[in-house]
This record gives sequence, structure tokens and C-alpha cells, in this order.
Amino acid sequence: MPLIRRPVDRPAEESRDSGHTLNSLSHPDSDLRWRAARDARGLIGADAAIAAALLIEKDPRVREAMFTSLARLGTPVAVEAVISGLRSDDAGLRSGALDTLRIMIPQVHDLLPKLLADKDTDIRILSCELARSLDGAEATQLLCRVLDTDPEANVCAAAVEVLAEVGGPEALASLQNCALKFSGSPFLSFAISAVIARLAPQSTTRA
Amino acid sequence: MIFTETKRYYVERRVNERMAATGSHSFAGYFGLLRVNTQGENEHFVNALTVNETYFYREEHQLQCLSKDLLPERIKKKRGTDGIRIWSVPCSTGEEPYSLAIWLLENWPLVDHYEIEIVGSDIDTRVLQQARQGIFGKRALMRLPPELVQRYFSPSPDDNWQILDDLRNSVRFSAANIVESAETRAHGRFDVIFCRNVLIYFDDASRRAAAENLYENLLPGGFICLGHTESMSRISPLFDVRHFADAIVYQRPLGGAAHG
Repeated sequence: MPLIRRPVDRPAEESRDSGHTLNSLSHPDSDLRWRAARDARGLIGADAAIAAALLIEKDPRVREAMFTSLARLGTPVAVEAVISGLRSDDAGLRSGALDTLRIMIPQVHDLLPKLLADKDTDIRILSCELARSLDGAEATQLLCRVLDTDPEANVCAAAVEVLAEVGGPEALASLQNCALKFSGSPFLSFAISAVIARLAPQSTTRA
Repeated sequence: MIFTETKRYYVERRVNERMAATGSHSFAGYFGLLRVNTQGENEHFVNALTVNETYFYREEHQLQCLSKDLLPERIKKKRGTDGIRIWSVPCSTGEEPYSLAIWLLENWPLVDHYEIEIVGSDIDTRVLQQARQGIFGKRALMRLPPELVQRYFSPSPDDNWQILDDLRNSVRFSAANIVESAETRAHGRFDVIFCRNVLIYFDDASRRAAAENLYENLLPGGFICLGHTESMSRISPLFDVRHFADAIVYQRPLGGAAHG
């Protein structure tokens, strides 16, 4: 029989001390930073150390690993660090933060109302996107509040987009009021009318 | 592993089984055992919950892709004495790693030209024991042509078949949790990883962590094959998508690190 050789045992990786790992988060070699971002997860103070390193990290692969570790840690410090990424001027960091928050919905859930009312318009827009991951009824409730109270057309447009996918007939009244509020915005009026057209038959059926 | 409401009965039944096995009179009592891992109960608990359905030559198109495209591309990077390493994880009761061995013996013309190391790993230590024994029933062999069954198996009691000793002794089986880098890293780096139909059971964060670990376990330019309904693109941006005639697979970029 042709041979498949018996494999040779490979030596286990040597253990690394926590100080070395945390220090490696700022190592000049991106491969070592990537590895440290993943290894740090089990260490005391990892959330704060990774959060600090994330602020200055430019390599997308290392950022991804840092975000993954923060998501798995899920501590308040980790959550805050990821949310801070949403506020960055760096588009890559913002999108990484958003992707990570999407998988941290259980940890972010209670913070969503506050994020949807943030003073920063961009945070409110991005937070509408996070509501997409919620249960339909809950998402509808939160986003209707946005439609009812937010003064920015772009924020309401973001809410309308998510409601188009997950919204229920309970959103009809808020959608109609929002259309009146922004009657001067052709895009928003069109988008709202499309969502109303989708939701209205559901309302009739349920009635 | 995540289990939705639809799996409630499945989980309840298995928890009840473990409670009975440990003599626990209440869930609180059993939970206490888990917390301190009394008599290795954590391992028994995980074993009870893992799903282990597989058979030989499952998703054969990926095996086709392995011999026709993936290995020919990998050997272009090899120097004279470099071997080829293939990882089957999770390997369950061994059908997949043994399938890889049989497939290569039967279908890859260069099988004798390279030292080929096949490793099978799983979090479930119970199935690893079964894999090492290499005894399979008719259902597991249903996709194998009869001549291959005759060639690579010998009859075993109770209408079973046991894989030949040469093959059994040439596949290494080991425990590994692909979400934990401490466990995956020790296995070294591979040319091809088969990680089929397991990532779907993880929550999003664990799925990303597993993808990062699998990336680290690939040689630059190495390939990973997922289940046919799975997509790495939705999990992690680390990999390049490669479209071959028989399968879509994911590749660690060639420019990837020499370490980590």
C-alpha cells in the first residue's frame, strides 16, 4: 500500500508571560501585535490594554483581532472601547467597531437607547444599524422613537431603512408623522412611502 | 456552541442524561459539578452536547478539489523534503480524516512523492476514541464504492467494518477546541484544513475567534474548506475566496506572516 507517513509530534508552544503579551500589543512587528491581541484575552487588564492599543493601531488585521478579543471579553471597558471606535475619524476603525458591535448586541442592548439619542449625528445613524439585530418589535419601538424625536433627516433615513427590513405595522404612525416632518426631503418621502406600502397590508391583515 | 429555542428539547434531554449519570438530584447540584469540573464533568457535558453526524466521502466535490487543485497548487510552494499537512477539525468519529487518506491514495497521482500528515481533531474526546478504533457501520460507508470498502476495511462484528491498521496508524487524532488558540496553536500549521459544518454552531464572537485561529494554523497560501452552506466571507476578512471547478474554498494570503 502506498504510504502515508506517521506524523511527527510537534512541540507545544512555549507559554508567554502576561507582561510580555500585553507589551507586545505595541510591538513594531504587526504579526506579534496580532498574536498578542488574541493571546491577551485571558489576562487581567486585557480589556483596558487592548482598548488603549486599538486607539493607535493601523493594521486592519491587528484591529480585527483586537475587536474580536474585545467582543469576547464583553466587559464594560471592552464595550466602551468598541463604542469609542464609532466616534473615530478613521473609517476603517468605525466600520470595524460597527461590525463588532453587531456581534455584541447582548452587551450593547441596554445602551442602544442612549446611543440612538447621542449628540453626535453619526453615532445615531450607526446605532440605527445596530437596531437591525434586535427582535422586530423592539427594533420598531426604538426606531419609532427616533422618527418621532430626531431632528436630522439623515438619522431618520437610517431608521427608515432598518424599519423597511425589520419593522412592523406599529411603525406606521411614526412613519407618517416623519414624512410630514420632512416633507421637503424627496428621498425621505419616497423611502417612507415605500416602507408604508410594505407595512400597511400587514396592518390590514392583522386587523 | 449556541442552541436556539428550537433545540430546547435536545439540550434538556442531554442535561437530564448527565444529571442522571452523576447522581445529581437538581440542576443546581449538577451546575455545581460543572463549575468545579468534578471528575472531569465538563468534558462529559461537552461530549454529550456535540453533534457528530458524518460519513465517508461526505461532500465529495471538496475531495475532488483537494486532489485536482489545492494540492497541486500547494506543492508548487514546496521544497524537496517538505511534507504536506492536512487537518480535519472537527473530525468526529474519524470518517473525514480517513476519507482524506483513502481519497488521496486512490485519486492523487503524486501521493507517493510526498510525506503526507493527516491530523484529525475534535473537542469531543469520546468520538476521538472511536476514531482511533476505526470501526464503522454500513451507514458511514454508504457513499464508498464496494471495492474501496473491500480494499481498506476488514469485517468487524455486528455488521461493522474496521479500517485497516496501516491507515488507522497513519492518522493522528487529538483533542482541540478551535475557539481556543492555546489548543489550536499546538497543532502547528497546515496546507489544507477541513473545518466543515461546525462554525454554524457558534455565536458570532466565537466564530470570529475560531476563524482567526484557523488562519493562524494555515501556512501562507494554505486553504480552508468549510461546509457547503458556510461562508468565511461573512465571518472574517482574513481570507481570500478562491473559486475552483469543484468547490469554493478560502485561502490565507501568500503574503501572510511567517509566524502568527
